[in-house]
Parts: sequence; C-alpha cells; structure tokens
Amino acid sequence: MKFIKNHLMFILPLVAILLGIEFYLVFDRTTDSYEKGLKEGYTMLVVTKKPAEISELKQLNPHVNSMEKIKRKNIVAEIAKDVNKGTQSEILAALPYFYNVGLDTYIDTAGLEKIKEDLEKDKNIKKVETFGNSYSSAYRLFSFIKFTLKLFIVFMGIVSLFLIIKQMEIWKYAHKERMQVMEIFGAPLMLRSGVLFKVAIVDAFAATVLTSAFFLYIKFIWAANSGIEIMMEKQEELFRLSDIAILLGAALLIVIIAVYSVVFSSKGVQE
Amino acid sequence: MSNVISASHLTLAYDNGAKEIIKDASFNIKKGEFVFITGPSGSGKSTLLKALYGHLRPSEGNLVVGGHDLATIRQGKLQELRTHLGIIFQDYKLVNEWTVAKNVVLPLMIAGYSVDVQNTQAQRLLKHVKLSEHADKYPLELSGGEQQRVGVARALSKNPVVILADEPTGNLDDYSSNVIWDLMENACEQLETTVLVVTHKIPTIFSLPYRHFIIESKGVYEVH
Repeated sequence: MKFIKNHLMFILPLVAILLGIEFYLVFDRTTDSYEKGLKEGYTMLVVTKKPAEISELKQLNPHVNSMEKIKRKNIVAEIAKDVNKGTQSEILAALPYFYNVGLDTYIDTAGLEKIKEDLEKDKNIKKVETFGNSYSSAYRLFSFIKFTLKLFIVFMGIVSLFLIIKQMEIWKYAHKERMQVMEIFGAPLMLRSGVLFKVAIVDAFAATVLTSAFFLYIKFIWAANSGIEIMMEKQEELFRLSDIAILLGAALLIVIIAVYSVVFSSKGVQE
Repeated sequence: MSNVISASHLTLAYDNGAKEIIKDASFNIKKGEFVFITGPSGSGKSTLLKALYGHLRPSEGNLVVGGHDLATIRQGKLQELRTHLGIIFQDYKLVNEWTVAKNVVLPLMIAGYSVDVQNTQAQRLLKHVKLSEHADKYPLELSGGEQQRVGVARALSKNPVVILADEPTGNLDDYSSNVIWDLMENACEQLETTVLVVTHKIPTIFSLPYRHFIIESKGVYEVH
C-alpha cells in the first residue's frame, strides 16, 4: 500500500503535467486550421467609381494581398428583381464597382482603419467597408479561449510542479541517508542515485502510459461519438504516435531534473 | 616506511574560514601505524577525521592521504581515495533499509565485485565480528554494540589502506568494545593497515605499540 502510495504521489502530478502538454499540442493542432481560416477568410469591401486593378490598391497599402471583383449584374439582379430590363441597364450603368479585398496577414481593428484611410485617399475609391468589429470580435473570442486554455495549462503545470517538489522532499528524506553513506565510501553518483532513478523512471513510463491511454480513449471512443463536428473532423489530430515520444521525453526530463536535484541536495554527511 | 598521511601547516575551519578548529598543525603517519587521537570535547578530533576522508577541505596548508592532497583533490579522485578508506562512525551510519550482509559488503559493491564474492566476504566478515546469525536482519533489529560491529565489518571488507574510526566504542558494552579493538589490532598487525582512532579514552588493555596525538587549543601534539 505504501509502495503504491509513494509511486502515485509522483505519477499523478507527472500525469497532470503531461496532460497539460498533450492538451496544448492537441489544441494547437486542431485549432490551427480554424485560426488560419479566420485570418484568410477575411475580406474588406472596396467600392470604386471605375474598375480598379490590384496593383493600384497595393500601391496605396502593402497589406493588400488579393482582389476579387463582385459581379455587378448579380447585384442588380438581386436588388432590382421587379424592374424592367431597361431600368436594370440604367441601374447597372450607375452602379459603382465592388471588390472583395484580402489582406496578407491578420490585422487588428486599428490596422484595418489605417488601411481604409489609405485606400480612401484614392479619388477612384468611393467607400471601404472593413467589417472590422465582427472580424475582430470573432478573432478576439477565439484568441481569448486559446489564451484561457493555455493559462489553465500553465497553472496546472505550476501546481503539479509544486506537488513534484513535495515528492522530491519525500524522496530526499527517504534516500538521503543511504546516498550519504554510499558517498562516504566513494560510490559514484550513478550508483548512489541508481535506486532513485529506477523508481523515477518507472513512474515516468507509468505516467506516459496513463496519459497516452487517456488521449487514445478520447481519440477513438469519445471524439468519434461526441457529435462535435470539429472533434470528428480532426480526430486524427487528437493523438499521434509521435506524441508518445514527446510525452515520454518530457516525463524523463522532469524525472532526471528531479532526481539530480535530490541527489545534489543530499550531498555531504549528515551531522 | 612511507607516510600514508601527512599534514603540513594544516588549518581546518568552518564558516568559510571564520571558525578555526585546528590551526597550523603538522604531523606524519606511516603505513601500519596505530594512532590514537584524544582531546577534550569540541577540540576538533572529529573535524580532523572529516578532513581525512575529504568531507572538509583544509582552509590552509596541506593534508595528504595516500598521495592525494585533500586541499586540491578533484571529486573523482576523492571518490577513488575513499574506496581505499575504512570509516567507522560513532553513530554507525548503516543503511537501515539494507540487511546486515548488504551493509557489510557496501565497499565491495562500490568496487564492482561480483555478487558471489560479496556473499562470501559477507559470511567471512560477519563470522569475524560474531554476527553470522544476523546476516539477514536489518540494522534496527540489532543492539548498538552489534550495529557497531557491522560498521567495523563494513570498514574492513575491502582491506582498506587506512581505517578512520570516530569514537568506535563510545557507547558500547565491554564485550562489543573488545571485539572491535581486536579486529582493528588484527587489521593493523596482519595487514599493515594504518589505523587512526579518535577517542576520549585509550583502552587500558591494548597489545600493540601505538602513537598518541592530542588535540588542544587548536593544535595537534604528539604525546611521547
């Protein structure tokens, strides 16, 4: 019972850190394309008196990346359904030219206003509509959720680190006497810390297996039946085999740092 | 005969030199000599012993053990030197989660001897210290005298060049004390092991010739 308790005291905070790392990886992967779409899907509407070319707009502001003409006939067909063709032709002649203009990067509301200002300096441009608020709020909401999750992961990591430090103190108490006696008789560091390393490496493997099992369950059972579109679409992204190596690497790194800290703080003879 | 231990203008201090315990001490100890170091409580007997196994570096001067200057020795060399020392503590310093037999063969384990050799040596040494029947027990199951005999067996297990003993019979009954003195006398006489014993009192019955140093007022003086 004591044996299991001693192991769990280290395995559980280690699992918490590994869960944090894996959540970070998964969230980054699954939201990457959404974030990209949010950025790339954005266009502003530019209304000109005469047909315009992209090079002209690029000269006005270098962030202009693409330009797509909106067919005026479609607009007229939409807004003047019930009028005769002659009138429709007159409306078409009087109608300005509409363009969807894409940008090369994500720009905040102030940046959008600056682009609008630059473009409106051209006398050919009648109006620029940035849709800044809806674009910005969608992106900000997304960024906020992402930031909150990362903050939670960091917080969880810090709490887990404190638990690991606590366990290190227990290790120190339990192994100090033996390590010091071995040191007096000339045992090299690896021999002194051998027992502790064995315990810690077993815990690192156990924590990796538990974390991997949890994410494999999420990937193959929970996500598949969740009904959440993004989860079902991105099922492959939820856990990759390469993640096992990342988790094991992280667990071993934590374990090595923890064990060496205990070994070095146990140096010297207890008076 | 060559010096196994040599101190020259040795100063030992704690708190980065602020608290001097031994000052400007010089002495030589040859191979196979039996040496008692006595002195009042707090005079620095144990401090000198700590310096001899490299736990406390000299603040000034030189302290050479087995050809290694402990003032400048590197960690790797210090580890190697310690494998040639047999150290006995007043508080035994046994590993309580190990059996008596495993405690005894610790120096052999460190030196990388096979398990068979370790087992054979453990049996032989425990027979010497009259603890054969306790091989599989744990230290806390033994009396103080028995634990100290385990400590002595451990110190002798690899035929050390030097035995350093800190009050080895301090709290022990006469029987255990006699066993321990016999073992150390035998090691000194038969194996030419240099033995340094820090003690309050030199045993009244002691068959070997010995040297006697006294530590007083920060100095180390030989009593003739």
